Amino acid sequence: MELEREEVLSAIHHCVKCKLCSIASFHPNEEWLPLCPSGEYYGYQAFYAPGKMEIFRAILEGEITEPSEGLLHSIYACTVCGACYEKCKQITSVELGAPDLFEAMRHEMASKGWILDVHTSIADKIEETKNAYGEKYEYNVNAETTDGDADVLYYIGCTARYRVPEIADAMLGIFDKLGLKYQVMGEEWCCGSVLFRTGQVEAARELVAHNIEEIKRSGAKTVVFTCPGCMKTFEKDYPDMGVELLHSTQFLTRQGNMNLKKEDLKAAYHDPCHLGRDLGIYEEPRAVLREVADIKEMKREREQAWCCGSGGGVKSAFDDFALWSATERLKEAKEAGAEALVSACPFCKRNLKEAAEKEELEVYDVVELVNRCLEG
Amino acid sequence: MNETFSTLVKELQAIVGERNATDDLAICTSYSRDQHWHFVPAKNPACIVRPGTKEEVRTVLMLANTHKIPVIPYSTGINVRGLTIPVHDGSILLDLSRMNRILEINPDMKTATVEPGVTFGMLQEQTRKYKLRPAFPDAPLTVSVLVNYYLRGIYQTSATDGHDHTISYEMILPNGETLKTGSRALSEMPYFRYGVGPDFAGMFCAHPGTCGVVTELTAKLYRLYDNRKEYFIGFDDVGTPTKFIYNLMNDELAASIRLVDNQSWLKGIFGTFDYPYEKLPKFVLCVLVEGVDGVFEAKDKLVRAYMKECGGQIQELPAEFASTFEHESLGGAEKSCMVFGIKGRGNYHCIGLYGPLTLAAKYYEVHEKTALEVGIPQDHVHFYIDPIYSFHGQLCYFELDIFYDGGDLKFGEKLRNYNEKQFHRLLELGIYGWFRPYAGIIEPTAERIGYLAEVWKKFLHVLDPNEIMNRGKLF
Repeated sequence: MELEREEVLSAIHHCVKCKLCSIASFHPNEEWLPLCPSGEYYGYQAFYAPGKMEIFRAILEGEITEPSEGLLHSIYACTVCGACYEKCKQITSVELGAPDLFEAMRHEMASKGWILDVHTSIADKIEETKNAYGEKYEYNVNAETTDGDADVLYYIGCTARYRVPEIADAMLGIFDKLGLKYQVMGEEWCCGSVLFRTGQVEAARELVAHNIEEIKRSGAKTVVFTCPGCMKTFEKDYPDMGVELLHSTQFLTRQGNMNLKKEDLKAAYHDPCHLGRDLGIYEEPRAVLREVADIKEMKREREQAWCCGSGGGVKSAFDDFALWSATERLKEAKEAGAEALVSACPFCKRNLKEAAEKEELEVYDVVELVNRCLEG
Repeated sequence: MNETFSTLVKELQAIVGERNATDDLAICTSYSRDQHWHFVPAKNPACIVRPGTKEEVRTVLMLANTHKIPVIPYSTGINVRGLTIPVHDGSILLDLSRMNRILEINPDMKTATVEPGVTFGMLQEQTRKYKLRPAFPDAPLTVSVLVNYYLRGIYQTSATDGHDHTISYEMILPNGETLKTGSRALSEMPYFRYGVGPDFAGMFCAHPGTCGVVTELTAKLYRLYDNRKEYFIGFDDVGTPTKFIYNLMNDELAASIRLVDNQSWLKGIFGTFDYPYEKLPKFVLCVLVEGVDGVFEAKDKLVRAYMKECGGQIQELPAEFASTFEHESLGGAEKSCMVFGIKGRGNYHCIGLYGPLTLAAKYYEVHEKTALEVGIPQDHVHFYIDPIYSFHGQLCYFELDIFYDGGDLKFGEKLRNYNEKQFHRLLELGIYGWFRPYAGIIEPTAERIGYLAEVWKKFLHVLDPNEIMNRGKLF
């Protein structure tokens, strides 16, 4: 989103610093539930939304002219999860939200070269290998197009391809078990999410152009994502390609009765930020999960879900913070009486799983459970 | 930042830990403004220090005192009307939000003892387990309990709570001495305000961090009752409901009584923007009755009897409105903050003051008049009355509100003109006192209080001879 300077300043001036954005709705249950991971972890005002807005104002008004350590830390140690905005808009009906402002701020900073080395190194990796992890270009999953004319294209994404391949395996397994034809891209490049989220917008242009071209060439009418981060990027940062974009859980709810064998499993559902707050998809993952497990809702859910801690470039730059945030979520799942924490995002799963090594809790993506419960 | 100051920051880091003190420009900038920025322009503290214990507070204060460096105490930084924005260069902002322990909830004594970083939400979460609650200000429940009471938080959402919720507290002075008020000075029982000598708790209250740093405070808690009933009565003017309000207050019948106009606070009290408020009468009196069995029914009967003859129109409204009003009055203000979103304007200005109910219509009249004179449109002008028990002096909290686009710099200029005229007019008209020492209030007020101003200054000088505490915010 390209924002005008005056539009940004106006939005910043509208923040009255009530800080209700830092907690989940208090009434009617009257529980104090923090919502802002970076503010809770680091504590200084700079790590909460109102403080970050002041910093952005000072950058735009020329009061901050150098990239201090605190500047880079406070602005990039934010998962841009958008929880603050969800709360703010309930109260103030504000239209231009904090996540858009923070991404605009990162863009402004990146254009001045004020960016973390670890994030520029991701851009370098993408330029070289076309994936965010700098892996040699090959599938870590056995993904092959079953029908070059299939209407459905599965966009796997870097994380499911190179870090949590069990998600891609599960999605492909579901396609096969349901007897559905699908395509995967011959040359799937990173969607560019990490570049957009860290302000390196220009570096993403080539990726966007390539992926659009590949998808058009495929002739697919529907693109299915297991990664909400990729899907959000296609929705928000790509031009309209004239194809339908569906998250895996939306796709699965359209399949009707899949004859799933429900497991005796108490599962908490973690709303991924990109899927929930950014794309508004809350019900479909629950509908699918309900078919395979008993859902135990956590106190902070849907629009007011606590972020897993890995988004916005945080996992790569501030792993301790990312894992702390994930651990907070795991504790909440246990408090809800869950035996497993289920998400619908490879990035969430990766971070939650890593944090769960010390917790007695299983972590899944919803498609893994569906694949497991699907009669082969 | 010069070398001397960098050395000082290292000393501060040695006291509170490296992670908890910084002079980083961006971090300091995040503390440079609050919502009162049209009146108190942005200014950065030179460094931020986040102590975690009283001893750290003490050591920091003594260090600052030695070097005569201004110190600005800061709890949550909300609703402070510019009071934590530095006046002088080289100030230390003492962010006390890490000190957020509820030290005691004593249901038998009906008290809570808290540190500065404890918010109303945090406290309510715990006190309600005992069917108790704090006295809530009509400010976001993210604000500090300690600071609101210390700054004199008598604009509470429940009239029955009275005007002073502070019992005793502990304050660390710039010289490192600890000052305890009330019975706290004599024993480990901080439950009585007038323990020894004068009312020291009262003497130190309402100074915006200009005496020392309050590190813990014991406050009154109030009962939560199961029996509740809400009424909403419409009026076309401010004067007509005053007789009804007087009756409710005189007979001590209602827990919450708030007269608001139909375009501002009512939206928050009802918890929605999506209602044809313009179809309601211009002013709506929101009344909440509560009490134990027997007493509740008797109160309710009397309220209904007074209501019949009050000259207003009883409003039949959706049940959820009453429920939200209950939560906002007895559980902490959250939806009330929807005033920040009125017509998408995003900011509000108010002059909060204490005065008698008898002057309600006059206050509203002068509010409209001054706004018009400085070019503020009528539809930006709003009003709020919150009467307070006990009703001696017909004590009420009044708010002369103006909701506006926070990004409109020209409107900010109008507001400054409004303030300049209005402070004088209100002083002429007669008030009991101001809600807070806003920017621009102290000077015209100090002129009128005679020798008291001199005594006040001398009093502060005794406590803080080097004038390090929030320098420039009072005199």
